[in-house]
Order: sequence, then C-alpha cells, then structure tokens
Amino acid sequence: MKLSFLLALPTTLLTLLTPTLASPEYNEHLHLIPLSNEYLYAGFNFTSTTSQSAYRANNYRYFPRSLGQILQYSRASELHLRFALGRWDEETWGARPRHGRREGGTGVELWAWIDAEGGTEAVEERWSALVNSLSGLFCASLNFIDGTKTIRPVLSFDSEGTSRSTAGSKQLLLHGTLANEVVCTENLTPFLKLLPCKGKAGISSLLDGHKVFDANWQTMSIDVRPICPASDAECMIEVQQTADVVLDLERSMRPRDDPIPRPQPIAEIECDEGKHYHGGDTCYPKRKQGAKRWSLSKVFGSPVIGSCHLSERNDGEAEEKWDISLEVPSEHIVEASAMQDSLTSDDQIRLYRLSESRTQRSDLSLPHQYESGSRLRPQPALYATRQITGHGQERGGMHAVLRNPHPYAQQIIYLETLPWFLRPYMHTLKVNHRFNSTEDKSARPVDVFLEKIFYTPAIDRSRATKVEVMFTIPPESTVELTYDFEKAVLRYTEYPPDANRGFDIAAAVIRVLGSIKGLGREGDSYIRTTSLLLPLPTPDFSMPYNVIILTSTVIALGFGSIFNLLVRRFVLVEEIPKGPLAGLVARVKVGLGKLRGGKGEWAEGAGGAGGAGGAGGAGSANRAHEDAAADGEARRAGQTGVNGRVGEGKDGLTNVERKDR
Amino acid sequence: MGWTRRWIIIAFWVVVACLGLPYWIWTTSIHRSHLPLGMMNSWAEGKACQMSYPLHIRLSAPDLGEQAGSLLAEGVMRRMNELTDLQLYTFKLSYNDSLPTSTERDWDLLVLLSEEQNTNPEASLRSWAPVLDVRYDPNSDTNTLATFISQEVRTVFEYEHESLTYLLNDTPYATGKDTTSSLEGKTRLDARTTRAFKYASMYHLTFSLFTSSASPSSWDVDEALNKYITPLLQPLSKISKFTINTQVQLHASFSPSIAGPMHDATSGKWLLQKTDLSGFVNAAEWPLSPSIGAGPTINFVLYVPSVEQSPLEIAETGGTSWLVPQWGGVQILNPSDMQSATLSAGDLEQVMLTFADHLTALVGLPPSPQSLALRLSSLTRERATSLILSASSTLGALARLTLKLTSISIPDSVAKSVDETIARLDQACLDLREGRFDSALSNARIANDEAERAFFEPSMVGQVYFPDEHKVAVYVPLLGPMAVPLVMAALKELRKLRAAKLKSA
Repeated sequence: MKLSFLLALPTTLLTLLTPTLASPEYNEHLHLIPLSNEYLYAGFNFTSTTSQSAYRANNYRYFPRSLGQILQYSRASELHLRFALGRWDEETWGARPRHGRREGGTGVELWAWIDAEGGTEAVEERWSALVNSLSGLFCASLNFIDGTKTIRPVLSFDSEGTSRSTAGSKQLLLHGTLANEVVCTENLTPFLKLLPCKGKAGISSLLDGHKVFDANWQTMSIDVRPICPASDAECMIEVQQTADVVLDLERSMRPRDDPIPRPQPIAEIECDEGKHYHGGDTCYPKRKQGAKRWSLSKVFGSPVIGSCHLSERNDGEAEEKWDISLEVPSEHIVEASAMQDSLTSDDQIRLYRLSESRTQRSDLSLPHQYESGSRLRPQPALYATRQITGHGQERGGMHAVLRNPHPYAQQIIYLETLPWFLRPYMHTLKVNHRFNSTEDKSARPVDVFLEKIFYTPAIDRSRATKVEVMFTIPPESTVELTYDFEKAVLRYTEYPPDANRGFDIAAAVIRVLGSIKGLGREGDSYIRTTSLLLPLPTPDFSMPYNVIILTSTVIALGFGSIFNLLVRRFVLVEEIPKGPLAGLVARVKVGLGKLRGGKGEWAEGAGGAGGAGGAGGAGSANRAHEDAAADGEARRAGQTGVNGRVGEGKDGLTNVERKDR
Repeated sequence: MGWTRRWIIIAFWVVVACLGLPYWIWTTSIHRSHLPLGMMNSWAEGKACQMSYPLHIRLSAPDLGEQAGSLLAEGVMRRMNELTDLQLYTFKLSYNDSLPTSTERDWDLLVLLSEEQNTNPEASLRSWAPVLDVRYDPNSDTNTLATFISQEVRTVFEYEHESLTYLLNDTPYATGKDTTSSLEGKTRLDARTTRAFKYASMYHLTFSLFTSSASPSSWDVDEALNKYITPLLQPLSKISKFTINTQVQLHASFSPSIAGPMHDATSGKWLLQKTDLSGFVNAAEWPLSPSIGAGPTINFVLYVPSVEQSPLEIAETGGTSWLVPQWGGVQILNPSDMQSATLSAGDLEQVMLTFADHLTALVGLPPSPQSLALRLSSLTRERATSLILSASSTLGALARLTLKLTSISIPDSVAKSVDETIARLDQACLDLREGRFDSALSNARIANDEAERAFFEPSMVGQVYFPDEHKVAVYVPLLGPMAVPLVMAALKELRKLRAAKLKSA
C-alpha cells in the first residue's frame, strides 16, 4: 500500500480516481523529490475543469478559451500533447514520474480522439486543422505533422476520459510525432498563458524558461478529457497541464549574473583534516556528505509569489488543499517561510499550503543534511534502449533491448512510428529473450511468442509505417527486438537544409500493461526510448546546375562537330586564302623581330614550328582535298597559302578549318 | 555541289525553327488563362453598372378614402422624385387601405396616417418596425399634407443618402455632382467607416473579463448576454451571422509601453491618460487570439481594476469606456462591492448596454434614423454598394496586374473566379436596381469573395520568382554553343550565294 502510494503522485491519483467536481474548479500542485542528492525532480500539475454545457456554449472560465475553441473546431473529444527534452536516467533516478503517462518522446508528440463522422477524409481534415491551430497556439512546428508522421495505434493508447457515448458517435485515435522539434522557451510561454494565473501567482511563478530548459530532463504535457460521472450528473471537461523537470542542483543554483563556475573562496572550503599532509597552508577539500543544501528560490531563481487559490473553498472539505508536497525522509530539516505545513500520516511526504496573500513571497529551503537523504527510488517497470545497427548507406537494422528487472512476467505493447524513407523488412523481425542471470553469452536465446502484431506499411511520401507488437517479457530477462531495414533515396527537394545531420526517428513507445495490480487500466505505465538519428545518403546539392552545364556542353560539342563535319569543306593548308588578319599578324611579327634585333631568329623559328604543325594537320585534311580542288577556288587559296602559314601557323587544325571561305 | 551543303543547312534550320523552338517555347511557357479584361475594366471604371436605389414606400390611411389616398400618394411621389438632394433614389409610392398583416413585406417604409383633430401634422418613427406614424388634422389641405409627408420621408433617408454619396465619391461610380454637404459631415462619415469592420458574413464576438487581481473570477455572463445582447443580434443576423464566446482572465497586467493609471489625490481616483488608451489592451499577454473559422473577431473587454487602483477613470472626461476601431470595445468597471468574487447580471447591465452600443458602431450600423429596421435596411444598401465597389476595384487591379506582369501565370481557377465575380456583380447590380437589397447584398458578398480569391491566388505569386532572365541564364549554356555554328554557317552560305549571284550577273 505504501509503495503504491509513493508510486502514484498524489494529485494524479486524486484526479484520476475522483473525477467529479460540481462547479468549475481549478487546482495546482507541485511535487518535489530530491533524487540521488544531486538532482531535484519537480512536477508541476495544473488541473482545471469546466462543465460540458459551459464548454459547448463557449463560456470559458478557467478552461483556456484558445484551446477550447481549437478542440471544438476540430471536433476532438480528447487531446494529449507532449513536449519533451532530455533523457530520464532510469539507472539512478528510478521509475518515471506519473508512470510515464504524462511524458512524451523527445520533441513533440500528439494524440487525439477525433469525431469520425464523415469518413476518413473528414477526420484527416479535422486532424490537419487541429495540428495547424495547435502549431499557432504553441509556437511549435506541429503543422509538420502531416500524413507521413501520423499513425493510428490500436493497442498502445486507451482513452482516459469517460464519455457518455451517444449512439452512432465514433471516435478515431490519431497519433503524430515530431522528433526533430526542439522544445524551448517559446513553447513554455503559451503553456503558461493557458493557466488562470499565467505564471504570475502561485506555483506557476516558479516556471521560468531559463531554468526549465536548462534541466537535464523536462517534459510538458497538456491533456484534455471528458469526465462523465456514473450518475446522471453533468459531464465535465478537464484540462490537465503538467510540467516535469529534473534539475541539476549545482547547475541551477549558479547565480544568474555570474553563471561561470568558479572555485570557492578558501575560507568556505571544508578541509579533510584526516589527510597526513593537512596543514596550515594545504587543504584537501572534504567530499561533501549527505544531501545538498537547496531552496526553491535558489533553484528556480525566484520564490513562489502569492498563491493561486481560485476554487471557492467549502469549509467542509478543506483537506487536501495544499500546493506543494515534498518527499524527504522525516528526519530532514525543512525550513518553510510563509507557508502552512503538515505531514502525511506516514511521515513521508510533507505538505505545504501557500498563504492567501497576493504578494507574499514563500520559500522552502533545506539546509545541508549529513544523513544521506536519498531514499531508494522505486525501480522502473522496464529498462529500454534502442539503437540503429549496421553500416553503409543502403541498409541498416533496428535493435531494441528491453530488460525486465522484476521477478514477474510483464506483458507489453511496443509501438514504433517509422518514416517512409526507412523501409523495414518485417520478415526479419525477431524477438527473443535471455535471462539476466545467464552467464553463458553463447547460449542460444529463446524466441518470444508474439501475441499480436499490428503493422501498417508505409506509402512513399504519404504514410508512415506503424509497427505495434504485443508480447510478454519473462521474469528477470532481457528481450531483444531486431529487424532490418532499407534506406530510401530522397528527392533532391525533400532534404532539409541540414541534410547531413541525419533524420530523426521518433521514440518507440512501450506500454507496460497493469504492472500495479488492482488499478486496472490506470495501472499501466509507459516508457519511451530515446529518439534515433538516421543518416541517409545525401547528394551533392550543387548537382542540378552542374548537370545542366555539363549536359549542355556535351550536347553542344556533339552537335557542333557533327554539324561542322556535314557542312564544312576540308582543304590543304597550302590552299588557305590569306585573310585580312593574317597580314596584320605577319607585319606585327616582323616588327617585333626588328625590335628585338638579335633575337630575329626566334620569330622565324616559331613560324617554322607552326608550319610543321600545319603540315601535320593538313595530312588529315587530305581526304577533303579532292572536293576543294574541284571547287575552282583552290588555286586562289594555294597562291596565298604560304603567307597564311606564316601568319596563322599556331595550330594546324585551326588553319585547316579556317580555309573554307 | 554547293547545293548539297545548302540543303543540309536549310534542313538544320527547318528542324530548329519548326520543331526545336516551338517545343522549347511550349515546355518553358507559363500557363495564362484568358481573362475577360474588357469586362473587368468596364466594372473597374464604373461603366457596367449605374447605381440607383428604388425605394418602395407604402401609404396607409384607414380614415382616408381610396381615391384621396391614391391622390395623396401621387402627390408625395411627385414631390419626392423632384427632390434634387436625393437623386440616388427613385421613390415609388403606393396606397393601400388595409393594414399589412403578412410578415413578408415588399415595401421599404410604411407611412401610417391617422387622424387627430386640431393638430399640426406630426410624424414619429417606430423604433423597431420600419413604420412612420403621421398624425394629421382631417381638415387640412392634401397638398400641405403631401408636402409634410415628403419632408418627413426625406429626413428619414437623408443621412443614408449622404453616406451612400460619400461611398460613391472618388470612385468611378460617382454621379458627378458632389452632394456631400459639409466638411463636418464628411469627417463624421469618415470616422464611421474607419471604425466599422469590413463586411463579413460571420462575426465572432468575444466577451472577456479581465481582472487585474484574482477576483472577481466569475461573471453571470450568460444571463447578461441573453438579456442585453441577443435581442440586438436577432435583427442583425439578417445581415451577418454571429457566434459568441466568453472568457475570464485573471492577473491581467498593463503593457509596459503605457504609463499606467496615475493617482489623483484631490478626487481620490485613479486616472488613465488619453494617450494610454490605445495601448491599454496588452496584446502581448492578454489571450485575445482571434476565433477559429472564417470571419473577423470583435473583442469586448471588461476590465476590473484591483482594489488598490479603483476607482479607475479616463482623465479629463471621466469616462470608463472607449471603442477601438475595427477591433472592439473596452469598458472599465469599478464594482461597488470590490470583494465580491462574482459579477451578477445586474452589475453587468450597464456594461452590456455599452457593448451593445459599441457593437452597432463596429458592424457599421448608421446612427440615424431612429428606427432599427430602417437602419438595418440602410446598412444592407450601404454594404451591398461598398462590396460592389470593392469587388470591381479588385477586378480592375487584377486586370492591371496581369497586363503589367507578363511573366506570372494565370491559373484556370483565377479565370473561373473572375467569371463568377462578373456574373455575381451583374446579378447584384440588377438586384439593386430592382429593389431586392438582401439578394443584392448576398450576391455582392460572393462577388467580393471571389474577386479577392482570384487576386490573392497563391500560385500566381510563385511564378514571379522565375522571370525570363532566369530562364535565359539556364538555357544559354545549351543554346549558345548550338546557335553559333548554325548562324555562322547560314551567314557564310548567304554571303556565298550573293557573291555567286554578283558573279553571274
């Protein structure tokens, strides 16, 4: 019981299990867990609800109007949007917060249930309207989620909402990912704008782009779902916004005006006096023991400003109205300023409530603790990694490793969205397992029985590949999933500006079914692998112009020679008529020779060499001689031939060609 | 022997001229659909349509006889059509004894005469229906009565005529004579047109409550809207459709670009400078994004200052509301009970009435005459006119553009849109001349939409980036080296031919 309580974050559990609240309601909550002494996990949670009638009538109060209008326009009944950055370090940080249900793969991930009325085309149009308007709302490139990035998962996602289904209304689930989107401050600002207090009061005042995007891991999520109570009470629409970050304490506590790490002044360093060389002038710094000292205002750059208590408080149900919860061992000292605090019954979680004053600045600070504060974090359901194998520009392979550390078997669903230019060979899909304890690496791995496979092949340039596999991982064993693929060659215009960087392949989504017993569907947890970078063969991008020039030259050359062969007359060098230019050149040469005086020999020598060349060229023109002689003009050409040789004797061939006038 | 060579060269030239060049031109040419440029220009120059507005006025007098009534109607009609300052209109008066019962009406104004002893004739407009009530003394002269009625009807349509003339002014459709009375009237009409939104068939109304602190955080907006706004939207929906959405936004702060309210110690009030009004709406932070879907969004902002900064007023005038042209209206509310978390419908009454006032100005409803129905039909005529004007000027611009930029392509869709525009314009003009103003408006709207679509066709713009110079640059490496031997050979051969001819001669 204790474990399950710790695993499930209080608000998530609360809102998931008790969804009925009569009036428009808003609450927010921040959960803090120091992880392994150096990292701090902070999970922000903002939930607002509105009644379905007000939503339909477009009367918005705490539910953001911009989002509501988008959902109504695109007729989406349930929406899940994720922005993620960084990697969750499972080895040291343990299980993922909120069972991984509120995080996405690197980049942007979006899935929504859309009214299926009007057939596939209408749904696709609504989906496109949805991604385009969300793109504008969140300043993200969501509009690039087109058909090539959209899939329709069957097993991986279940609707979180409970809608009272009317006859004939069918919802269609569409899922799109954008792995190459870099999540940044411009996405956080619209995220905060959706909140009623807009980051001006309450815990949202801690969310500052400088700190959030400096984190080792961060994810933002927006989830909209309808909640219909079992009774005849009115349905509600709930929007839950979460922002989870893992901050490096040392890094985030650097002063903003001086972010360069510097050595501490010697007076502040604690020396290890146990060292034999310790003396008055030497100091061996003592390794810091226990948990680091930190406070909210230092980690987030500012204290909490005021509070955002909007719901009318009924005195009868005043419990569970806290803003901040902190998970530290009970013996730790925590100094809270301007906050009411209380402890949960099992002394594990401290709860704080911000004061009602609008301008009050509240802070939490933990002094340096000598007792090692890190409690054992719960183990994740699975450890998952994924790589691309192989070499070369043509083929490759996908290799995913899933390790089950638990002594019980787990049923999972493995979902992959592959772009069309990565073509998997599904016949090479192999899933086999090996027990973790097996020492002998040469032992043959055992094939895993695949319970279900849903596979949608890609269509070039219009549809993505979807692979959805369901199988069971035996206890304490490692499953390897491999398949080969082929890389497609893209068209010249399809490459992005940074083509040599490679193409991002979206994270695989792993759904672990019901690892926590007794919670049913809600007990499922999700794990996402890191996204991959696929190098594709990239062409030389100046190619088209080179091709134009080269082909033009070749064609012109070919045409020119054939044309000249056909229409030109070939005659002997001796028959070349004297052109007007030839006399000029000869005179200049003679002049030059006179000028140089003693070097007159040179001019003659050059002329002689030219003559030899001319004679050689004339040999090839001999065949044409008969033609030329018959023409009657040949005699005239012959008379002037000697002069022409002196004048133009640079290249025999040119001579021959020039003679045909 | 010389002829073999000539034949070869001629053959080359024939292939190049008859096959090569046409093929090259055909493969690199831009598709330009045929546009009816003449028609487009005639619309742009105002030759295709003569604006005139026939108005049908019905006279009804239960106490007057059939004959006397018809006589009176004729007298009024003659006087009306003789008026020189309402020359855009042609009046048609008919007399009918029976009071109209059916909801369908075929008149623009009903003049209802009733007898009243020993009074000077007096007239009043009903505020909702297009009815002019005239009370007269049964003993009075018919001529005087006719003059009186024509004067009254004239005042009803005077303002509309002025604004129609203003619309037509400076366009090719102008009737030649500038009848706009005064500079003052012109500025007034100028202000009205700049304030109002461009006509759209759908407007989105967004009512937002901005609170500078965390309370009040809710308002009884549904009830207030039903009470004060919906009754106005109902008649307006004949011209445009409206959607309504509302939102509440807390912690709304002023933009840093304005000075903000100053405390005035003498009156104990916070005063907002007039220069700050334009920057009052913090566009960067207040979520006033336009609604999705076709049509513009009209914003109505209700701002509740914090307890520390109230009461908040505009300096000098002491007002609390203002209108932002072509955007919406802003109202500051200093509630009597600052601590209350909810604004009731009663609190919102004054606010909603102000917003209703803003709304009429923003959709362009003329301020006079008094009757809403008359104002609406007057708006219909004005909108239809301005849409026809704008569609025809767009057509003219498109015609000039296609003539000027010879390298842009004209897809078939543009030609289709232009044809549709012209057909709709013709229809709208005909409707206008025959007094079917509603139909004229809808046709003019479609015409305008089509004209805009044709003008802003995205595929036309793309071609501009591949001008002829670019084409030459790409093809010169191919065509240049090929053309030189061809031309040289031809020249040489020609020269030889001439020499041979001279020799033989």
